[in-house]
Amino acid sequence: MLFADPLFGLPSWVDAVIRVVIVILVMTLVVVYLTVGERWVVARFQQRLGPRKTGPGGILQGFADALKLVTKEDIRPTNADRWVFELAPYATFIPVLMTLIVLPFAKDWGVRNLALGLFYVFAVLGLNIVGIMMAGLGSGNKYALLGGVRAAAQMISYEIPLVISLLCVVMITGADMGGGVGTLNLNVIAALQEDRPYIVLQPLAFLIFFTAMLSELHRAPFDIPVAESEIVGGYFVEYSGIRWSMFQLTEYASMWGFSVFGSVVFLGGWAWPFGVDAHWTVQLGTTLVKSLAFIIAIMWMRVTVPRLRIDQLMNFSWKVLLELSFLQLIVNGFILLYDWPQELLALTSGIGAVVLIALIIRHSTAKASKGLVGTYRTLGSTPQ
Amino acid sequence: MTVWPEERLVTADAFNTVDMTINVGPQHPATHGVFRMVLTVDGEMVVDCEPYIGYLHRGLEKLTENHDYRQSMGWWDRTDYLAGMACEMAYCMAVEKLGQFEVPERAEYIRVMMVELSRILSHLMFFGAFGADVGSFGTSFIYAWRERERIYDFFEEVSGDRMFPTYFRPGGVQMDLPENYEDRVRWLLGSIRQGLEDFDGLLTGNEIFVERCRGLSPVSQEQAVDWGLGGACLRSTGLAYDIRKVEPYSVYDRLKFDIPVGKTGDVFDRFIVRMAEAWQSTKIIEQCLDQMPKGLVLNPDLPKTLRIDSGECYIRTEGTKGEYGVYAMAKGGNKPYRMKLRSPSFCNLSALKQMVVGHYVADAIIILGSLDIVLGEVDK
Amino acid sequence: MTNETASAYPGVSALVHKHLPKVPFTADKTLTDANITVEPAHFLELMQGLKERRELAFDYLRNVVGIDMQDEGLVCKYQLHSMKHRHSIQVTVHTPPGNPHIPSLTGLYAAADWHEREAAEMLGLVFDGHPNLKNLLLDEDVRIHPLLKAHPLQKMEIAQGIEDRDPGFKF
Repeated sequence: MLFADPLFGLPSWVDAVIRVVIVILVMTLVVVYLTVGERWVVARFQQRLGPRKTGPGGILQGFADALKLVTKEDIRPTNADRWVFELAPYATFIPVLMTLIVLPFAKDWGVRNLALGLFYVFAVLGLNIVGIMMAGLGSGNKYALLGGVRAAAQMISYEIPLVISLLCVVMITGADMGGGVGTLNLNVIAALQEDRPYIVLQPLAFLIFFTAMLSELHRAPFDIPVAESEIVGGYFVEYSGIRWSMFQLTEYASMWGFSVFGSVVFLGGWAWPFGVDAHWTVQLGTTLVKSLAFIIAIMWMRVTVPRLRIDQLMNFSWKVLLELSFLQLIVNGFILLYDWPQELLALTSGIGAVVLIALIIRHSTAKASKGLVGTYRTLGSTPQ
Repeated sequence: MTVWPEERLVTADAFNTVDMTINVGPQHPATHGVFRMVLTVDGEMVVDCEPYIGYLHRGLEKLTENHDYRQSMGWWDRTDYLAGMACEMAYCMAVEKLGQFEVPERAEYIRVMMVELSRILSHLMFFGAFGADVGSFGTSFIYAWRERERIYDFFEEVSGDRMFPTYFRPGGVQMDLPENYEDRVRWLLGSIRQGLEDFDGLLTGNEIFVERCRGLSPVSQEQAVDWGLGGACLRSTGLAYDIRKVEPYSVYDRLKFDIPVGKTGDVFDRFIVRMAEAWQSTKIIEQCLDQMPKGLVLNPDLPKTLRIDSGECYIRTEGTKGEYGVYAMAKGGNKPYRMKLRSPSFCNLSALKQMVVGHYVADAIIILGSLDIVLGEVDK
Repeated sequence: MTNETASAYPGVSALVHKHLPKVPFTADKTLTDANITVEPAHFLELMQGLKERRELAFDYLRNVVGIDMQDEGLVCKYQLHSMKHRHSIQVTVHTPPGNPHIPSLTGLYAAADWHEREAAEMLGLVFDGHPNLKNLLLDEDVRIHPLLKAHPLQKMEIAQGIEDRDPGFKF
């Protein structure tokens, strides 16, 4: 199913190529501005100015960075596995590019409108791990190997709660469409949220999705595969120049892609709050603003929180997130099966979200209060 | 049913894994200078650790033996380069002890004030670097820098240099404080307290930070004493050993302050003890400002060239990282016969292997960070 | 205690003499601590007593200093502190010229490990029984002892004729 009639009555495949080119160009522009935008945001959080010199207010800094990276020497270590090493950046980048194909930026604005869009995103994104492992193994560097293995372990374990939290939403689409099995079509999912975004109905699923998303993106506090202070950048430690910038491109493109995806599934995409019949510029703007909110939240997390350890990360995934997402799925199933009102969905999921947050806070404050209040006793002026 | 050929049976030997060695440093973001450790890891677990030091060895002791007492001042600044004044203090005290030189009272108060400012400086650096080790993307670093820059400005004002002031002299300090300096130090204290509170908010209460640090690598009192740990690493085990209290020097016996001690000696305790120490230092500085008398700041009776006939002493001061000791021996002439630095970082670092083995690679970095080493001091 | 013994054993060393009467040592005072001097043969016995006697309990090895006394051979000094009794002492060991052997303290104090390695590389002291007496601060394959008085300060100064003492080795 196509989005709409092909542009200017062109053949379908020419139309698709044009749309892909547009998406790639927009993505490049977005990535260039995300890199410099992240530097601005981080600078603001750290009480400094950030890049301000290149162009008026520093708006050309991203292009300067890109130019510098392209002109740098492309170094290949002697003990690297040549083809694995050289192909790894593309193997990580192409899956991310492919996910951008199904994302609806506005009504009828996207490259292809697949009926299995949501499924397709995860089927393709899973291939990302292959590229990362290729980089880790092919570099012939132990830091890279550790980073690659960490990345694989982390992405595989977080994909499960991620997918299940999305399934919760898919179940509700079934009810919204008047009974049935629901839809995996992202465009339809967005359109179904015309009245209320699914974050209202499924706050717990949204929390799980957001957490797992951070993990899939290797962003703080889950930036274990790229931990600068431990393994000096992880799997891309040996890359330089254009190949390194491919990894950078992948990172920011997937951040943007995930943000658009998350805003489509949970925040109402282009449909909420202006409705499916709003002008396409309004819809496009809505999507961009929502995805920007996602991105700012991700950056905020990055500058504020430290990094988890690999076993704590795994524990959190397998012992907390997985259980809660399954619970959400089962509760949703009951409510939808007996056609109970949708307010109940919001209520149960809200309780779940509160429980999750309370669990985290209690877990650490139980430790912290011991530390903060009682950990040091001060002795008077005479020693013991 | 097909029978699997014998030679293709997968036996337990096929799953044998070998340990991997990782070389951390000398150029690595977490080693805080030029320090190298070779970790042998089993997956993510450290099974052995071999530290290598000496990349910054400048022959401090040899240089001191071959130069005039006053000429050597500058090199002793560069041992603990995060708190140069604290090192100068120990060196000057050693020379004064050997030659029995008097120090005016005002100079003593100025010295203590400067040393405590250096202590805050060094601890701020620790908070920043430690936060970066735990993974907070440099935010803690930048937070530390705001207050550090201000303190450096104050150092620059009295001595003309920021990191290596060379402000102290045997027999006092180089110059009196500039006009209005005391009032501005009070303002600085307010700013420092604000900075420490910011740190509290950023790190101490953070769930992930607590989760990472609490209960990590606890050290018992016996172990700490046996390994020769010093400073916050020793006090975090609950042992109230602070030379400013145990064997008071300078004017510390006239100042009221507490020794913060921890309970378990884990990484979080080391952090929190340093945090409390920085607060105590602000208290000490305030008292110094209150009690500071007027008068001379440099003993005018000292000859141009210091000549010391004989004597030996072991001066210990509470440096920023632990017991900063100077062994000095004179046998006539204008040079010391032997000067030995007992650097706290060196002793703390020597226990690294015992602390790190059995932990994750990520934790090894944190444990190294929690020792708060300065390589200028380790390598002399 | 008579005046005579008090002058022979100042400060903490009187306590040491009281609790370890069998170990022969002489005592004097430095500007900061009491100092006891002992032969290498009795050194380990003394240190064991200092650490393990409950009344002495010197459990904290602060520092190890090696000194080149030129004609009198190498000297090693140990600064000890007791966490329990809060007293400090210095122990001096003289080695005869040409035979710089001292028993290692690594069995008693874990802290002695790096201190002894440093003294060994800097002065050429040999600590018998040390498990790993490699170079610590210098390169692993360098066999010079920079803190010996015979070692010149700089190569350049020798080349320029400023330093005229014989370094005792070839660069």
